[in-house]
Amino acid sequence: MTLPEWVEPVARYMFTEGLKGTLRIAALSLVGSTVIGIVLGTLLTIRFRPTRAIIRLYIEIWRGLPILVTIFIIFYALPSVSDQLRFDPFTAASIGLTLWGSAQIAEATRGAVESMPREQHEAASALGFGWVGRHVFVILPQALKRLLPPVVSLLVNIIQNTTIAQVIGAAELLETGERSVERLTAPPPIGPGEIHAFEIYAAVMAVFFLMSFPLTRLAAYLEKRLV
Amino acid sequence: MLAIAFDWSFVSENGDELFAGLLRTLEVSAIAIAGAFVIGLVLGAARAHRIPVVSQLAAIYVEVIRNTPILVQIFFIFFGLPQFGIRLDAFTVAWLAIMVWGGAFNTENFRAGFEAVPFRYREAGAALGFGRFGTFLNVTLPIGGRIALPPSINTYISVVKNTSLLYVISYQELTTTALNINALTLQTVETFTLLAVAYLVIVWTLSALIRLLETRLALPGEGR
Repeated sequence: MTLPEWVEPVARYMFTEGLKGTLRIAALSLVGSTVIGIVLGTLLTIRFRPTRAIIRLYIEIWRGLPILVTIFIIFYALPSVSDQLRFDPFTAASIGLTLWGSAQIAEATRGAVESMPREQHEAASALGFGWVGRHVFVILPQALKRLLPPVVSLLVNIIQNTTIAQVIGAAELLETGERSVERLTAPPPIGPGEIHAFEIYAAVMAVFFLMSFPLTRLAAYLEKRLV
Repeated sequence: MLAIAFDWSFVSENGDELFAGLLRTLEVSAIAIAGAFVIGLVLGAARAHRIPVVSQLAAIYVEVIRNTPILVQIFFIFFGLPQFGIRLDAFTVAWLAIMVWGGAFNTENFRAGFEAVPFRYREAGAALGFGRFGTFLNVTLPIGGRIALPPSINTYISVVKNTSLLYVISYQELTTTALNINALTLQTVETFTLLAVAYLVIVWTLSALIRLLETRLALPGEGR
């Protein structure tokens, strides 16, 4: 069985352009979310009302807004506030996903840090560590083990939510799929005039499934092993 | 320092239209939540009681939906299915796609809730003369349902947030309405402030409801 003629160029375009775009947004957002989330989550454990209130507000806003709305705000509203806040679709989507993801990780980090026994803090203090040293060298390395399952589930959610970048035209997997559908639908002088929306969107779903399924299994396994 | 002026006349001029969009968001959310509740209850029970065939089909449904982006699911239903003559209008796709997504997550919520009910409770139900269905209705459902309630409301919050994705099929819910108003008025700050506030009010209200229910419905003896 040979594949129809239209498949090969479309598949090549979607994998070289689209999948690359998806992975780029996902990687940026994962790193950004994890770093910012761990810092904010650790700061949230300090018993100082103003910092707590500000970080809480940050978490509740970016967790509460639909990611699409956050990305729209970054892409459409920020440039009207200041011209320096004009971002290309990739950056805007990555910032939006990072805001949302860091809120998730901050909440998880707070839980993990607070679950550390008091004695760990006391022992670290007795060894002469200050607040920063105590958290960086003693508390966080132990808390990271508990953070692994939420970070893996975050990765799954980030990978899936990269598709929202399609709405503002970033060339990720769904967008390249959509462009391919349109190109194939165009009547003869421009395109072949064939409709392949079903196959192409089914393929996009299949690719996301292949990326997500092993990761959701991994997250479930990590969670079970830790309890 | 940036000076951001908020033009209050924007509210009186566009408030009605935004409110109509908000109502459509709530309408689709309500249908999808009701549907997701029923799907979750039935399939969650089937999964927890390992009812042959139904349980396996439900597992496939859950894994497919959970591991693919909802935006692609919406694209697939709205743009992919018409290729085979299945043409659904925007409203149908709106509630259907969101409901199918919520149902999959809710199946997991209810499955976990029902499975958390100790087996000896079910045995006790059987000892009292209840059949399998009677045991489920009188023992597993009231206890497991309570355990499943907070996570299922979390799913409903996501359901409400996901209705914003219906923008891609131009269904005139809140986000689509706001983007249209923005394109016409160019009052970007006002539009997006109202849009964000509307979503935060809905989502924060529902989260407060979860916290309330968690304390109210805590199982006796297993309280926090």
